[in-house]
Amino acid sequence: MNALDTTTPIGATLALLPELLLTGWSLVVLLVVAWRHEGERDSRFAGWLSFAGILLSLAAVLGMWHGDWHSEGIAHMVALDSFRYASATLILLLAGASTLLSLRYLGRQRLLAPEYYPLILFATIGMLVMAAATDLILIFLGLEVMSVAVYVLSGFDRYRRSSAEAALKYFLIGAFASSFLLYGIALIWGATGQTNLSLIAAQLAGGAPTMASLGLGLLLIGFGFKVSAVPFHMWAPDVYDGAPTPVTGFMATGVKAAAFVALVRVLDQGFIAQAHQWQPVIGVLAVATILVGNITALAQESLKRMLAYSSVAHAGYLLVAAWPGTAFGSGAVLFYLAAYCVTTLASFGILAAIEHVGSRTVLIDDLEGLFSKRPWGATSLAVCLLSLLGFPGTFGFVGKWYIISSVLREGSWILPVAVAVGSLISIGYYLPVITAMTFKPERTIDAHRQVAFSRAGKAIVAMAVLLILLFGVWPTALLNSAVRSARTLAPQAVVTEVP
Amino acid sequence: MPPAAPIAPLLGPALGLSAVLFTLGVAGVLLRRNAIVLFMCIELMLNAVNLAFIALAQLQGVGGQIMVFFVMTVAAAEAAVGLAIILAIFRHNQSVDLQNVNLLHG
Repeated sequence: MNALDTTTPIGATLALLPELLLTGWSLVVLLVVAWRHEGERDSRFAGWLSFAGILLSLAAVLGMWHGDWHSEGIAHMVALDSFRYASATLILLLAGASTLLSLRYLGRQRLLAPEYYPLILFATIGMLVMAAATDLILIFLGLEVMSVAVYVLSGFDRYRRSSAEAALKYFLIGAFASSFLLYGIALIWGATGQTNLSLIAAQLAGGAPTMASLGLGLLLIGFGFKVSAVPFHMWAPDVYDGAPTPVTGFMATGVKAAAFVALVRVLDQGFIAQAHQWQPVIGVLAVATILVGNITALAQESLKRMLAYSSVAHAGYLLVAAWPGTAFGSGAVLFYLAAYCVTTLASFGILAAIEHVGSRTVLIDDLEGLFSKRPWGATSLAVCLLSLLGFPGTFGFVGKWYIISSVLREGSWILPVAVAVGSLISIGYYLPVITAMTFKPERTIDAHRQVAFSRAGKAIVAMAVLLILLFGVWPTALLNSAVRSARTLAPQAVVTEVP
Repeated sequence: MPPAAPIAPLLGPALGLSAVLFTLGVAGVLLRRNAIVLFMCIELMLNAVNLAFIALAQLQGVGGQIMVFFVMTVAAAEAAVGLAIILAIFRHNQSVDLQNVNLLHG
């Protein structure tokens, strides 16, 4: 029962079980919302209902992972390997946490259209498909399902001009990037006659024709936009700044995670024989992203924009981890993605609670004296920032250390130096936030009166902080699991003749 | 004996045209400042890719033609969402010129 034949209808259905469950559930939520869309109570109900669907899908993923479901022969369309299960688990946890963080925020900011939650579910389905796809067509479709939902989400606060502008920018640049990706797919298919990654690898084992290399280049441009790598990053700070804060958290973590796992799968499973062609590109993108992201973040006064640029910089670290193309490198991508996503989502969750009703920006100066009024919130934000910085004893430190060691193993020294330099620069913008919160007095008596954590938000942030500290001192089990998952990525031997 | 007919007539010109159309679309997105025109340029890029798929289908089989259906569906979904977003911008600015989209700048 554990080996599925994905060419039969029943096998294909079982292989897509988490995605199908979530699709069905999201349609039910959409129906429920059509009847109940009056006030805050209905919105919260839709939120909890969506959360239940995410848990259901998560149970399916964990069941498949635990039962070690795998495909007979090569995987058609969807992979059945631990890499997929691990990334799907991460994505579903992020979606669940984003849902819970949104509950209170939507009520406070009077964003009471409950369609918000089905949109989160649709985006999550796209992400799951991207994490599972072993076929370029399916990667494209997953990307679009995710992106179209997120375009709407980023403009969800449409009566506010900044949110509408963010949606427009994200939509135009996202669609532009998708066309590059699609042109890349067309050229690769034209050169090899295949869209399945393993079959492409079999075709290209003896060297790639120019057309396939060109296609790979266009594919990398498309992914570069999606993961916000420099020089394709200019949209990211604006869109992250303008979107509602919980959506920003979801975009900065879920979308990036899905794009990175799909990128790693394409590179490691389809184009591993062309590593000498894409490694220089990834390396240059990584160094540029780390330097530009960190240096621009220094100049930001708004906390949200600072976090946005820091998320650009972190895309650079993740690209470094994608550079080796080995199981250790891809394991480092998974591990660092987990570290980055947990930390970033918690930071945006805290930011959402601090934000004043109706006002868009929280300046770093606005945080002065937060520690004396909200000691737990301030401490949690400090822990998150230290983890993003890579302070020893946190999740982020272990992740960075692991990225550096996986790259050093392949004999590159420029990339580890870039990671170290980037982390040093980032001290310059993370530490002022912490000193502002702890050492400076609050500006006015009621500066922090509006700070409001919901019970669910508190639980999510507390869990994230515990995870950051736990995996900071005891990372072995998670590290081993990440490497074991990444091992399953190696191109599958194609035994049958290429049809 | 007459020379064998080429396997894929017009493959070269069709791929060339598709590349030209794609480049035109990219140039339009980079140079123009009107949201609707930008959106049209993106559609042009997508359809250039469709042309490439159709042309290559002569060599590689019907997979490309099937792919075109997926692309058209996706483009329709994008148009629905994109035009709604452009409408939301119009309500704020009374114009769809990107010069007025300046609240956020990096």
